[in-house]
Amino acid sequence: MTAADTTRLRDLVRPDRVHRDLYRDPGIFELERQHLFGRAWLFVGHESQIPQPGDFETLNLIGQPVVFVRHKDGAVHVLFNRCGHRGAVVCNQDKGQAKSFRCCYHGWTFATDGRLVGVPLRKGYGEDVDLTDPSLGMVQLPRVASYRGFVFASFAADGVDLETFLGPATRQFDDLIALSPDETLKVTGGVHRYEFRGNWKHQIENLNDMYHPFFSHASTTGKDGRQFQRRAGDAEGPQIGAGGGGGGPNATFEQIPLRGFDRGHSYCGAMPFSGDRGGAAFDDYRARLAARHGPERAEQILNPDWHNLIVYPTLCLQSAAQHIRVINPIAVDRTEVRVYPILLGGVPDEINRQVVRHLNLTHSAASLIQTDDLEAFRRIQVGLDADGFEWLVYARGLDQERREADGSWSGIGTSEMPVRNQYRAWIDYVAGGVAA
Amino acid sequence: MTAATARRAAPEPLADIARVERFLYLEARLLDERRFEDWETLFTEDGTYWVPARPDQPDPWSEVSIFHDDRALRRTRIERLRHPDIHVEDPPPRNLRLVSNVRLDDPSAPGVVTATSSLVVIEYRQGRQRLFGGLVTHDLVPHGDAFLIRRKKVVLLDADGTFEALTVPF
Repeated sequence: MTAADTTRLRDLVRPDRVHRDLYRDPGIFELERQHLFGRAWLFVGHESQIPQPGDFETLNLIGQPVVFVRHKDGAVHVLFNRCGHRGAVVCNQDKGQAKSFRCCYHGWTFATDGRLVGVPLRKGYGEDVDLTDPSLGMVQLPRVASYRGFVFASFAADGVDLETFLGPATRQFDDLIALSPDETLKVTGGVHRYEFRGNWKHQIENLNDMYHPFFSHASTTGKDGRQFQRRAGDAEGPQIGAGGGGGGPNATFEQIPLRGFDRGHSYCGAMPFSGDRGGAAFDDYRARLAARHGPERAEQILNPDWHNLIVYPTLCLQSAAQHIRVINPIAVDRTEVRVYPILLGGVPDEINRQVVRHLNLTHSAASLIQTDDLEAFRRIQVGLDADGFEWLVYARGLDQERREADGSWSGIGTSEMPVRNQYRAWIDYVAGGVAA
Repeated sequence: MTAATARRAAPEPLADIARVERFLYLEARLLDERRFEDWETLFTEDGTYWVPARPDQPDPWSEVSIFHDDRALRRTRIERLRHPDIHVEDPPPRNLRLVSNVRLDDPSAPGVVTATSSLVVIEYRQGRQRLFGGLVTHDLVPHGDAFLIRRKKVVLLDADGTFEALTVPF
């Protein structure tokens, strides 16, 4: 990148606003592909998706075909789904079980760790062709690492290790794992897939946005400002509006804490669910947690103090409608999102059924919540076509934003601090040449 | 076997196909015309509406679904479709359903009529047309001259595909 490019990019990202080119310019999307998605750790999948040797799932990772596979020695690999011979996709199924992968074109065969193990009519390759060259296999992504079963990969050979990348955000992974009395998560409950005609950043900027629910999700609240009952066993739905005939958003949203970390990660505090959860299955579940941890710690586990964790740039974990959300940018104006329920080991089946039911309500392509956000994302992309007023404004709460002693950024409730925090990271990645 | 002996050998049908077709066409028309409350009354008290998120999904409990509504959730969904501030329905999409290849299958439970049909839904909203196709299974309970729906399952061709926002049931 030239100095002029860097200067231009820095001019497009200001403390309180960013330029529309970040959402519309295919050239900037290409820079993001190289310098942001090309260097950050990207979530690939959870180990429970491929429990047995030979289990695999294929996926599109920022436009590239990869296989997430468990080798016969139990090790998890993330391979480019590409034949080392002429480049064809080798594994053409969404998921399954394989002893090896064979290319459909000339029959080259690869072990489940990507090594080339079979070349038909081998003698046709002369002595100067080195068939043991790893680049002729299904090549592993340069770096692959797991945080307690959550597997990430990076397209870059160099950079910080995964735990350093995650930083304080590992706490939310630990909180989710603690929800299971035997500390096992099962990401085996299928996946919701939705897409929108808009830039990927509309989605990531939405995830800690506590300013939007009352307006975007107005259609999910009754006259009392309360949302429909989301979870079985909840006494009532969350309070989104002020209620009491007053109109306007629930003022307690301003009290929800926000925290921003290095590299663009952040989380928002828990939503205003109220009333105790109940029901026989839930009481059983609570008792199992209490048996392991004691009643006080069990209550703490059951009521995480956070709602959405953003692991910038492509991952979100949610505690309320327990899920992993993966943002997969396809083009500057097209984005796919995958939402996986997090099921728990060691709980009554009914608890996992409730997780599935809740996630259908909130995050299916036909859900009562997500569809409102998708409409907003689509409208932003269209609105940005208007010439002359070319900035998106992220000034909310700028005056109250604070850097805490531990280096994190704090903000209150409906502040746009998390978005500003993302842009601090964005400019470091895309224009700064700072290693991930 | 002659036609006459075949008729004698056949079990007493709970319904003839013409009545089932008439009912499925009525259901399609109610959805086309956005008469959602009338559509809801076609279901039994315990009636379910299910759109799996993959073609061979075994059940709606162990994995997520695009739709899986009992009566309470169907009513919540319809209330939202009627809400003045449902932005994704401003303006609402227009829908047209084609129901075809109706056949009666072996009943999936005693006392029900199990019918399968091919469904095509064309949707138009703001300059963009979408096409959905799928195989529908209805478990119908005879009710007066018509039926009530105990279970409706819609397996979309692209059940495991990626969708832009969906609002109106198929």
